Amino acid sequence: MLKKLAVVVSIVGIVQAGFFLTRAQAQMGSAGQDEVAPQPIADPFEPFNQAMLSFNLKLDEYILHPVASGYAAILPLGARQGVGRFFHNINIAPRLGNKLLQMKLVGAGKEVGRFVINTTLGGLGFFDVADSWFGLEAGHADFGQTLAQYGISPGPYLVLPFFGPSTVRDAVGLSVDGAMQPMNYLLPTYPETIAARGGWVMGNAVNFRSLNLELFENVDRFSVDLYGAVQDGYLQQRERVVQDALAEQ
Amino acid sequence: MQLPRLLFLLTLCGLTLFFLPIRGLTTDSPLEAVRSTTNRVVLVLKAPENQGPHLREKRIKQVSEIVRPLFDRREVARRTLGVYWRDRTEEQREEFIEIFTELIEKSYGETFDKQAEKYLDQVEFLYDQETIDGNFAEVNTRIFVPSQNKHFSINYRLHQVDGQWLIYDVVVENISMVRNFRTQFYRIIGKSSYEELVRKLQAKLRQMAATRSPS
Repeated sequence: MLKKLAVVVSIVGIVQAGFFLTRAQAQMGSAGQDEVAPQPIADPFEPFNQAMLSFNLKLDEYILHPVASGYAAILPLGARQGVGRFFHNINIAPRLGNKLLQMKLVGAGKEVGRFVINTTLGGLGFFDVADSWFGLEAGHADFGQTLAQYGISPGPYLVLPFFGPSTVRDAVGLSVDGAMQPMNYLLPTYPETIAARGGWVMGNAVNFRSLNLELFENVDRFSVDLYGAVQDGYLQQRERVVQDALAEQ
Repeated sequence: MQLPRLLFLLTLCGLTLFFLPIRGLTTDSPLEAVRSTTNRVVLVLKAPENQGPHLREKRIKQVSEIVRPLFDRREVARRTLGVYWRDRTEEQREEFIEIFTELIEKSYGETFDKQAEKYLDQVEFLYDQETIDGNFAEVNTRIFVPSQNKHFSINYRLHQVDGQWLIYDVVVENISMVRNFRTQFYRIIGKSSYEELVRKLQAKLRQMAATRSPS
């Protein structure tokens, strides 16, 4: 545990360094819609990020997409949507933990309510009756968002293998969210359980990909500079997620 | 896996930019302008005499005709070039507007039509609200997919030119299309030059002419 904490603390240090490095550029970002647009953002990890983007695209092309296609051929759409809801429901711990860390008590209450209703009446979460019957819509919270709420800037853009686009702050968030999964502590550390956890993550990814099989094939067609398109898309989405968290009571 | 979702959204963004549904009637509010033009495009796509894959080019042409003269191509181009617009001669600006518009239409036209063929009957268009601030406005809409109980937010940014509301940006699921292209263009210009950007856009057009879009 201590080791894990030490790693987290040291990574937070890196985020803070990134914060100072990129503070000026973050301030300029708000002028994005104005006539005088900001200069290109600093991207110190670009060579690494380029390599990881290529790796992730190959991973998708040769493994994820074919596996998801086969899986989609076996399991009907409705069932795969149910599987997606099941994964969302069972992953309550990081969402709840972050709602509490962000002092969003109403949001935290909603998460608990949704979990109890969907796990029981919704058949382990395969059906989202909390939304359809009780009007409790699915929420979102992650540790990158929590760090942002406490004033930590995203830091440089960082593409992670397997997980895709991120920033230094969000990468820390991702590892902390992973550490919030009770399964990591409840299950003993045997090769079998590690494999099971890996399978779990892969299962989630394959299921998600199977629900979005055809929508972005040949994506190269739609961008002039794929790296920049993905980078900006990620950063814009995260800015919104952070704004939403700040606006929520 | 953020990447697949992002790539999907980026595609959706572009499709919407091609779709730019505006109707520049001076009496229309921005929201009405968006709504009435979306309806006109849907009518063209659903017309009985327009059905079938062999009529794809005709449909794309008709949709383009509804859309093309009605969006502010110059403003879209100006905002995507950002700080680099100022240094361009008027000739370069005109050339850029032409190439960029052609790129958008070529890259999204066919894919848009194919997607519409598959999904148009399964979605609902929801028009939530408009916010007007002087000569600028934002219209918030959503596409609802009942079978998946999912919403995709699509916000249109408009400005008023000679009494007409014209769109200069589309924001799909929180991704501004203008900003996304600007990031790409800044990277290319920053690493080489404006001339290199134009070369890349032209090469992209040639590449697209040689290949067909995915179904």
